[in-house]
Amino acid sequence: MHRGKGMKFVGDSRIPAKEHRMKNIPKDYSEYPGKTEAFWPNFLLREWMVGAVFLIGYLCLTVAHPAPLERVADPTDSGYIPLPDWYFLFLYQLLKYEFAAGQYTVIGAVVMPGIAFGALLLAPWLDNGPERRPIKRPIASSIMLLAVISIIFLTWESVAEHDWEAAAQQGAIVEDIEVDETSEAFEIWSMQQSCINCHGGDMLGGAAGPSVFQSDYTKEQVIAIIKEGAPGMPPDQFEGTEEELETLAAFIANDGQVPDEDEE
Amino acid sequence: MLQKIYDWVDERLDITPMWRDIADHEVPEHVNPAHHFSAFVYCFGGLTFFVTVIQILSGMFLTMYYVPDIIHAYESVYFLQNEVTHGVIVRGMHHWGASLVIVMMFLHTLRVFFTGSYKKPRELNWVVGVLIFFVMLGLGFTGYLLPWDMKAYFATVVGLEIAEAAPVVGGFARVLLAGGEIIGAQTLTRFFAIHVFFLPGALLGLLGAHFYMIRKQGISGPL
Amino acid sequence: MSEKEHKVSRRQFLTYTLMGVGGFMVAGAISPMVRFALDPALQAGGETEFVSVATVDDLTDEPQRFDFQLEIEDAWYTSEQSRTAWIYKDGNDIVALSPVCTHLGCTVNWEGSEDHPNQFYCPCHFGRFEKSGQNVAQTPPTRPLDLYEIEVRDGVVYLGSIIQRRSV
Repeated sequence: MHRGKGMKFVGDSRIPAKEHRMKNIPKDYSEYPGKTEAFWPNFLLREWMVGAVFLIGYLCLTVAHPAPLERVADPTDSGYIPLPDWYFLFLYQLLKYEFAAGQYTVIGAVVMPGIAFGALLLAPWLDNGPERRPIKRPIASSIMLLAVISIIFLTWESVAEHDWEAAAQQGAIVEDIEVDETSEAFEIWSMQQSCINCHGGDMLGGAAGPSVFQSDYTKEQVIAIIKEGAPGMPPDQFEGTEEELETLAAFIANDGQVPDEDEE
Repeated sequence: MLQKIYDWVDERLDITPMWRDIADHEVPEHVNPAHHFSAFVYCFGGLTFFVTVIQILSGMFLTMYYVPDIIHAYESVYFLQNEVTHGVIVRGMHHWGASLVIVMMFLHTLRVFFTGSYKKPRELNWVVGVLIFFVMLGLGFTGYLLPWDMKAYFATVVGLEIAEAAPVVGGFARVLLAGGEIIGAQTLTRFFAIHVFFLPGALLGLLGAHFYMIRKQGISGPL
Repeated sequence: MSEKEHKVSRRQFLTYTLMGVGGFMVAGAISPMVRFALDPALQAGGETEFVSVATVDDLTDEPQRFDFQLEIEDAWYTSEQSRTAWIYKDGNDIVALSPVCTHLGCTVNWEGSEDHPNQFYCPCHFGRFEKSGQNVAQTPPTRPLDLYEIEVRDGVVYLGSIIQRRSV
């Protein structure tokens, strides 16, 4: 930096005149051959090549897996089991445990995350020795390892406990279903008191069961489910002849309309 | 021609030292994967920044179609995803980018921690980094509500319940975040404002501080 | 070996490669977004539906005002908007004119001014049009009123999209 008398400036500005400026030539790195390198272009090229490969993978991911979109929010649907985004799952799971739930919710929701994030924020002062190698500061390293392992464990538990199939169903975008209430199949349905108890008189879901049209099952699958039951649904509740069962199943598989004969 | 424009600007503003300072600083050997392959762990910070840039860009483009209103939010997201060309890709980039940012930032944090790079004299940069982490989590939480579909709505309900569990200020924090007792129209506009203006503003400031400190102090030495 | 002996120095080569990789990254990330943003401009104009407006029996040689409803689909928002047409019989032909003044978009009226019978009159800047839609010289509009596309089926007049004319 030049200072003092004899400085010339551009006009009346603070910008020094040309002759006082640094020369526009790159630094010479020949004294550290192959070791220390220039940020531009040497290091940045390496960094960006990694970035380019990363970008390709990233774009492939977006094409292969479109961002999910469930049906429009319905605040009145009390049966929906919510799930936060995956990076909050560990916190969500923590709140399921007894020591962190119920009257102790404040522990799981505030105290534990507060301590964890507070410690993270203050790490330079909690671990203030001069030693940098992880092996030479065993307390700090082991606490961090423990934290990482418990986050992975909690996330894992949460994923394992969540019923993903039910989640996909409860959020699925449902098409508008029009049930043909004049059909023979609907008449059969109207006789099935135990079916109606859960799935409703209109077949579109009721007190304890979802709409019968929610999943895209074939006629055979519907018959199997009615006969053998499903998770949360008892078997053998249908009362009627085999023929009636088939008519009803075909009606359900065809989204509430009498199927055309030639489709079969 | 370009040279002349450059000279014209340089004469008046003396810009050469600015970019020379950025371009010409030396990068030490121990972060160069060509010398030690294990040095790839030093890439995570850069990748976090790269995904952040993509998030900012894709977010800007998404707001061309998105409406933060409970009647139209879902319809507009459905429209931009299904009707607009490349809508799947742009929304996908923003959706998956949100996850990738968290992953990359997590790895970057672990690298900094296990190389002890947060120790004196870099304490302040670590604190700024952790604040960036919080801002990113906040962006994730507020952005999750915006499509206004089932999972968005109910995840936010749960999230606000957790906020309410905080002693003394919990109820106040919940109402402040939700913009009222009901999680609805005002919650969505609030989350939109926080997601699109407040947190990105904070993020840019923190990132600036983060990079300035790295430039000033240099990368921490080899172990 | 000095760097100057080469035509392209190692540094320059690396800079070019860096620009290439950087360009790829920018293009890869930005191009879907740009296409996304340009979508409305690149979308082919949709077919307009014809809407029934009047019966042929209603029409006279004198332009009459007919209001009709049009369903407008604006991305995720569908709405009904009302449109107006001035329709008259010109011999065996039917002419339907848009009431939007070609000057600055005000609405014209048939015989809207007592001083100018048998003309469309725009109250904003005193623009005038002949019955055929032809703009009257020395008034602000520079082109004739727009026409509606017309279809007649079973004695009912259907109007479609708007046709611009340079002259009548």
